[in-house]
Amino acid sequence: MESSVQSEPQVEDVEHSAYSSSLGQHGERLTAIRQEMEYINTIGKRFVAAIDRFQVHRALLAALRDLYSFSACCILLKGDPFELFIIPSYPLNASFLEAMVQRIASAANALDFLDVDPEQLARTAYLDAPDELALPSSHEQARGGEIRSGLNIPLTVENRIIGVLSLFDEQGGTFDTNLLQLTAMIADYAAVALENVRLRERENALWREAEFERQRLELILRSMAEGLLITDEQGAIVSLNQSAQQFFAQTNFKHEVPLRKLAETSDVEWLPRLAEIVERALSGEVATNQELVIGEGSETVPLTLNISAAPLHEGNSISTPPIGVVAVLNDVTSSKQVERLKDEFVSVVSHELRTPLTAIKGYTQHLVRRIERRIRKTRNTPESNVQVNELPESYDLRSLSIIQGQTEHLERLVNDLLDLSQVQWGKLDLHYEQFYLADVLAEVVRSIQASAELHTIYLDIQAQDTAILADRARVEQVVGNILDNAIKYSPHGGKVTVRLEDLGKEFLINIIDEGIGVSTEHFDHIFERFYRVHNTASQQYSGIGLGLYVAKAIIDRHGGGIWFSNNQNSGSTFHFTLPRRPRTIPLT
Amino acid sequence: MSPTNDNSSSVSREQVTEAYLKAIRLIDERVAPLLGKATTRVLVQGAARRIGHEYPFLHFLVTRPYTDIVPSVIQEQLSGVTSTELAAGLNALLDECFAGLKELTGDLIAPPLHDEVAHQLRQIQ
Repeated sequence: MESSVQSEPQVEDVEHSAYSSSLGQHGERLTAIRQEMEYINTIGKRFVAAIDRFQVHRALLAALRDLYSFSACCILLKGDPFELFIIPSYPLNASFLEAMVQRIASAANALDFLDVDPEQLARTAYLDAPDELALPSSHEQARGGEIRSGLNIPLTVENRIIGVLSLFDEQGGTFDTNLLQLTAMIADYAAVALENVRLRERENALWREAEFERQRLELILRSMAEGLLITDEQGAIVSLNQSAQQFFAQTNFKHEVPLRKLAETSDVEWLPRLAEIVERALSGEVATNQELVIGEGSETVPLTLNISAAPLHEGNSISTPPIGVVAVLNDVTSSKQVERLKDEFVSVVSHELRTPLTAIKGYTQHLVRRIERRIRKTRNTPESNVQVNELPESYDLRSLSIIQGQTEHLERLVNDLLDLSQVQWGKLDLHYEQFYLADVLAEVVRSIQASAELHTIYLDIQAQDTAILADRARVEQVVGNILDNAIKYSPHGGKVTVRLEDLGKEFLINIIDEGIGVSTEHFDHIFERFYRVHNTASQQYSGIGLGLYVAKAIIDRHGGGIWFSNNQNSGSTFHFTLPRRPRTIPLT
Repeated sequence: MSPTNDNSSSVSREQVTEAYLKAIRLIDERVAPLLGKATTRVLVQGAARRIGHEYPFLHFLVTRPYTDIVPSVIQEQLSGVTSTELAAGLNALLDECFAGLKELTGDLIAPPLHDEVAHQLRQIQ
């Protein structure tokens, strides 16, 4: 009983002891796990807190020193070039360092790192000695025999090897298989931390680069003599460079309000025009050489800008709607001033030329009449047996006719010059009167024929009633200018036909020559002022390039149209139409 | 490392390849927990590069991970190579892998693993 009694507690003791032992083992295991987790947590925190590669090195060194005592820890990072950091535990001599570099290069070769050259690694290696090695008290002699222990662990981030961690020691058997997994885990931490540092460095470098570029661009834009205006996709101004700010100094642009909306409420006269240019660009069109007068109207020559605006497309993709507009503003006021001065000069000179010209024309007319009277008198004298054509007066009359024709040509040139400024400033006035177009054509043909001996000018009237209400003098000027050109650009003479056709509500006048024609490159410019056609022929052609410009302005003002075409064989044909009656009621 | 079979003519290229692939997989199984998953792959690539001049038919392993090797790849890359040549080449590759592993960890992993792999290859014979 006793024994049984005794035996029972013995069994219980055994069970209790086994239970206690089990609990003890379990507790020990839990303690070990807790310690391991605390250790891992401590290591992790060190790496997470590291913001540069040297802090990563410190964290790595601290973690590895908990496991081993070693001579040096090295980090080789892949890249172009490779980067090698050597972190010694104590001062190492050159032969040890050299041997380490050799071993690292061999490990890199085993891991298929391409083109790892030990010599180059040795030259570019960075020695990251811990601070305590620099303290005066720790001035140890550099040492290091041969490498007896070595361990190389790939540094891996997301299954990608970014480098290798190498540990070396003078003693043999330093590294332990049992600690290898923990060492690899520390290497993983270090790899992620180093990769983060590398990404941060790259990000900082890119940011610095972008900032540098931004500042450079800002400097360029600020230094530009041209103004630069940038809008958003709504047409609201988002940026004006310094020059543009100076141009618009008197105007307060409200931010985030599209220009077209500003124009609706603003009393700034030129704002609708600017809004229109921006809107055109926003619709995808490139608007070039648009003039914008933004100065005060009272100024002789107000501040005038030449604007070119283009749509801004994201990623250069023109298929997407513009994200804004960029407009370049050039101050052309000084050019306008020069232009104005030139126009004034031309106007003054023309006026001065006109006075003697009127006198020449008048006196020539007077002489012509006197000679005509003399010839008539001679012809009527019964005893005269001299042929009229042989009379000296007849020669004089022909000479005077030439003078008359040339004077009229000169008069047309002067009139063109005088008209230039009127056309320029939109002040070309017409004086309407009723007349027969056929009569005017005949008169001009006669006048020009007188001084064009090489040419024969035909008048072809294909209309019954040629009555028209128009500015007679201006119509004469148009026909004269075109005929002058026809003669001038037919240097070898030939036929020139002036044909009048009745189109019902308007007349069509065609002036057909057999001259050199017009090259295609001049097609778009031939009606521009001061534009001169230098044709293929070597001969130079006189003229000031205003005839067609003024002619077009006169025809436009009448409500007609003017154009030209090259003939099939040779020469060209200028066409213009004139309404029988003006489309709007004339003021005069 | 000894070749799988001295008389390789009786063994197909596929069988030879499979035997060595098994050996490499065993290496990977042991190495990955210690040195990371990518290590065996790059060890094989590095080894293939180093033996490339001697066994050019294995050069495709430099750019192609060994895990991608399937019968069609063997057919495509190793046509015209005898089983004996292939066994010699793969054996050299395995030796180079172990040399690489020894460069990395010295005697911590390579010697016991070498014995294990040799044993497995012998069993396959």
